[in-house]
Amino acid sequence: VKKFSGTREAFAAAMTDMVREGKKNYFVSPDSVGAMRSIPFAKEFPDRYVEVGIAEQASVNVAAGLASCGLIPFVGTYAGFLTMRACEQMRTFVAYPNLNVKFVGINAGLVGGEREGVTHQFYEDLGVLSSIPGFTIFTPADAIQTYLAVKMAYEIEGPVYIRAGSGREIDVYDENSVFNKNGVTLLRNYGSDIVVFASGFILDRVLKAADLLKDENVNISVADVNILHGKNPSKIIELITKAKVVFTVEDHNINGGLGSYISQLACEHSPKNVYRIGLTTFGKSGPAKELADSFGYSPEQLVNKIKNKI
Amino acid sequence: MMDLNGLNELAKHLRLETVRMIYEGKDGHPGPALSIADIVTALYFDIMNINPQNPTWEDRDRFILSKGHACPIYYTALNEKGYFGDKISNFNLRALGSIFQGHPVMRTTPGVDMTSGSLGNGISIGAGMAIAGKLNKKSYNVYIIVGDGELQEGVVWEGINVAAAHKLDNMIVFVDDNNWQSGGAVDKTIGSRNIKERFESFCWDVQEIDGHDISMIQKAVKVAKNTPGKPHAIVCKTIKGKGVDFMENNNAWHKGVPTDAEFESIMAQLGGRV
Repeated sequence: VKKFSGTREAFAAAMTDMVREGKKNYFVSPDSVGAMRSIPFAKEFPDRYVEVGIAEQASVNVAAGLASCGLIPFVGTYAGFLTMRACEQMRTFVAYPNLNVKFVGINAGLVGGEREGVTHQFYEDLGVLSSIPGFTIFTPADAIQTYLAVKMAYEIEGPVYIRAGSGREIDVYDENSVFNKNGVTLLRNYGSDIVVFASGFILDRVLKAADLLKDENVNISVADVNILHGKNPSKIIELITKAKVVFTVEDHNINGGLGSYISQLACEHSPKNVYRIGLTTFGKSGPAKELADSFGYSPEQLVNKIKNKI
Repeated sequence: MMDLNGLNELAKHLRLETVRMIYEGKDGHPGPALSIADIVTALYFDIMNINPQNPTWEDRDRFILSKGHACPIYYTALNEKGYFGDKISNFNLRALGSIFQGHPVMRTTPGVDMTSGSLGNGISIGAGMAIAGKLNKKSYNVYIIVGDGELQEGVVWEGINVAAAHKLDNMIVFVDDNNWQSGGAVDKTIGSRNIKERFESFCWDVQEIDGHDISMIQKAVKVAKNTPGKPHAIVCKTIKGKGVDFMENNNAWHKGVPTDAEFESIMAQLGGRV
């Protein structure tokens, strides 16, 4: 795997590579061919590109029709236009009949949507999909992980949702990484008293916070969760069980996403305090870094939030 | 091949079985089902290239009942065609554990190509099937029945737009134009009556016919198949509840279950036996 300038470019690269490998992947675009950085893909493989215009509900339905005839479509566009505007189509015509449709939702989170503002920032997508049976939910933390997630989604039978950004993602993983089927990767291990679970494009900030806390001799580890509600969460449960206190950090509302998922696992398997760090309000326009800092995601603020609870 | 008389007799029989299914199941939508009985009969027993022994045959014509609440007529047609092996006499419609769900479900009922019932979605899903046909270089056609009230859904027009843009001439949409919807008459609710003009303005090939005249349905499909380059709409003037005198144009039968006495009358009208 090579480096990409962002998760959208990683998506386009994975789609291109898969066609070259002889796969049956198609890109269904509700006028998102530019947003998904797929104009070169569409030019090179015109018969793998299905344009439906600015019509997200139709994009999901067309994909359902394609999948019912044995093709493997990827619908890619803004996360909320899929999971909210076309939510019912994703539920009733893809998940219910278990059709083999893949979704890539971009501009996820504050960092993903940044300057566009609330209409194009989506921090509810995981909450929406978490209550629909049959969805596999991938939350890659950077572009390399997104490339791997797109390729893994193809191999899974049934609906998959991949949460992606818009180019402001900081690379955390190296080129030799894998997309972990366990749903969790331990990236810092300075002790097991505190475990911080992170998901999405704030992972670099969480790692920096852990490094700062280590310097203060805090016994802490950081794990990246790349699959939500996966079939086998035993590795996540193991980390929860070993810890005295658990934190979650996500660029999503604290309800319905990573925080809810980890809280549920803790309640059912190893009850203890779980503190959720994330959004509780709508966002604002602004450059990604300043915006994330202003909503409490700077490493220093994360350090303070963690120290306040221990 | 069944002749016209045979098809008309079969449509009458399927109407009876439809109402029987609802009467025995004590729930369902008889009016919307009777409205499309002749279209469904023509499709399943004359027009469509299908194989009940191989319901997922990849070269088969596809069918979507976008107005999925009319499914009792669909289930009777599949039964008569032989999709369920031995003919089913009691469908247990809408009963717990029945394969005949309240609205059609693919992979639950053999022969159902797509889940439906949430209104407005059939045309864009069918467009996906038609695009797949062209991509896979298959010669199958996609047949869809939509209600006239259903045309009020926005996603219908997204699908109509997609089908025209992709020149999906392998797609034929029947509009069940009975001028009724759940809450009352379509033209008095919010619907505009110029269905033909609206499809034409989206660059569709459009015909208007009597939706209870099977010979006209057959002819319209032939004309559509010989009109390349555009998706096809066949606007069918129909009567909701057609075939049962007290149900015809009576929207109280949008959803409802006949009493024993009413069912006796239905059997007399449709030639049934107790």
